[in-house]
Amino acid sequence: MNDFGLLFNTVFSTGLFNEMLRRATPVAIAAIGGALTQHAGIMNIGMDGMILMGAFFGVLGSSIFGSAWAGLGLAVLVGVLVGLFFGLFVVKFKSDEFIIGTALNTFAVGLTSFLSRSIFGTQGAKGYPSLPNVTIPGFDKVPVLGAILNGHSLFVYLTWLLVLLFYLYIYRTPQGFWLRASGEKPQTLRTAGIAPERMKWTASILCGVLCCIAGAHLSLGYLNGTFAEKMSNSRGYIAFACVIFAASNPAKAYLAALMFGFFDAIGLRLQAYISSDLTSIIPYAITIIMMTYVVVSTRKKREKIHRRADI
Amino acid sequence: MVIRKKKGEVKMKKFLIFLLTAVMLLSLGLVSVQADDLKVALVVAGAFGDRSFYDSSKAGLDRLIKEKGIDGVTIECNNENHDIQLRNAAEKADVVVAVGWEFYNVEEIAPDYPEVKFIWIDNATYEPIDNLLNITYAQNEGSFLAGYIAAAVSKTGVVGAVGGEDADTINDFIAGYRQGAEYYGTENGKDITVEVNYANSYDDPALGKDCAIALNDKGADVIFNIASAAGDGIFEAGAERGFYAIGVDSDQKYIAPDVIIASMKKEVGTSIFDAVSKFVDGDDSQLGTTWVADMATGYIGIGYGDDDMPQQVPDEVKDAISGIAQKIIDGEIVVETTRS
Repeated sequence: MNDFGLLFNTVFSTGLFNEMLRRATPVAIAAIGGALTQHAGIMNIGMDGMILMGAFFGVLGSSIFGSAWAGLGLAVLVGVLVGLFFGLFVVKFKSDEFIIGTALNTFAVGLTSFLSRSIFGTQGAKGYPSLPNVTIPGFDKVPVLGAILNGHSLFVYLTWLLVLLFYLYIYRTPQGFWLRASGEKPQTLRTAGIAPERMKWTASILCGVLCCIAGAHLSLGYLNGTFAEKMSNSRGYIAFACVIFAASNPAKAYLAALMFGFFDAIGLRLQAYISSDLTSIIPYAITIIMMTYVVVSTRKKREKIHRRADI
Repeated sequence: MVIRKKKGEVKMKKFLIFLLTAVMLLSLGLVSVQADDLKVALVVAGAFGDRSFYDSSKAGLDRLIKEKGIDGVTIECNNENHDIQLRNAAEKADVVVAVGWEFYNVEEIAPDYPEVKFIWIDNATYEPIDNLLNITYAQNEGSFLAGYIAAAVSKTGVVGAVGGEDADTINDFIAGYRQGAEYYGTENGKDITVEVNYANSYDDPALGKDCAIALNDKGADVIFNIASAAGDGIFEAGAERGFYAIGVDSDQKYIAPDVIIASMKKEVGTSIFDAVSKFVDGDDSQLGTTWVADMATGYIGIGYGDDDMPQQVPDEVKDAISGIAQKIIDGEIVVETTRS
């Protein structure tokens, strides 16, 4: 029992929740973008590549202009371009989203590796200006909460704002309504005089921007101006899982990202007791459990609706 | 209606075909004329620009080109198509240097090219092959010294290591590191704890950073990077939270002179240079053997960066390190290993 208490204390420290928040943030920002495309009826598997582009161009901008804000700006600009690129193929040419998404991921790895080696001369770059950490004076004296919430990189806090903004956009504005209609019933939207393509374009551009912000946060906020090849490390896919799990609701997607962050952080701490091969399975095992839950619960909901319709 | 080609167009085409054939035949002739120099192909499992393992091998090849006048070719596999690239190299070159433990199919490929001499870096075949030299590195010996330094510099008595994955080569580092840290502990009557975690990635510095922070939360104030590019995150976490780090494979101190106190060096480039030089001189006796590049041969060691960089390791510890290195070379200290 005493052993268990010791294990509990070493695993469930404030550091655990601190890390949960850090790990969740880039995934959550990308997931907001993924929620938008998902609402517009686009299955966006290309988020991982978008994140990687954001991470690279963030560092590139930071190195050229000597300011992390310029890096963020460049990442946003590239996000718009990537969104346009994605929209061009998916919305305009109506190609298969899955193929385009996969192509985007491969292209991003190739492009960033090539540019990194030709511009920086190495497989990565580091030590460029980074986004500030936010420390609220006096807050660190608050027990537990202060240690968990204080002193993070800027975007850890801005993500809360982004979640709220996009929640309101999707569910409380006419554009959000059109966006959802463009995915669910495009013909109906067209009869209302609005082109569904317009909303799909908007969604794919906003998704590009948000994913690139996620990437810029990864390289300029999470890390201090560091880029490494393939550093997105499948975060885009985890973000996609969050979107599906949350039924494209940004708030729920944030919670899902927090859950992934939590289990990742726990896995790292459990390595002292269990083999690391097993602990690295945790996030994927959670994904399968989550997906099973989603499938079962939506089926139940559908059955309920059908039953009501029968009466 | 039939579109007839103009006479001139047909003539032009014929001329072009003739020209292309002539160029191809000529270039064939050129290749066979140039075959005097020894052709060495360096095939790396990853890609250059890692400022460590692969770049070190490239430096070895560059030195060979400059000093021995060989003809060098490089192929980067970017972590895929290892077998095909190895065969491509074998068809073109006289000596193929495969850099990376991933080339385990060299065991089947090398016998298909009996005229070609193979060198496999960082791993060894189960059975000796007539035209293949394996070079492995005694990273456990260098890691022993790294562990000793970590324990000597640590104030908390807790030292850490972040591994790329739970695999034999990585665990070989850890075994030596742990033993070295504990050796310092018993020698100086200090309680030393070694904490290890695995990033399960070699690419993701953010993960490496989280791993290092988790170790620092447990009290570790010197952390050994055994995770390639993911380890960059360790150096960053060290700068932010004020703990020290130890670099790996090449002298990494210049990356973060205030955080990295020392590096465990594997002289991959020098070992390639020496091995191929023997081929150039006509000595093929090393083929069919496994050569362990260790501290005794000088291919494994500790680097402290350049003199103008801040030195965090006290001179008496550096002196102790030289003494221990000698003891390892003399066999007085036997370092544990996970290599088979």
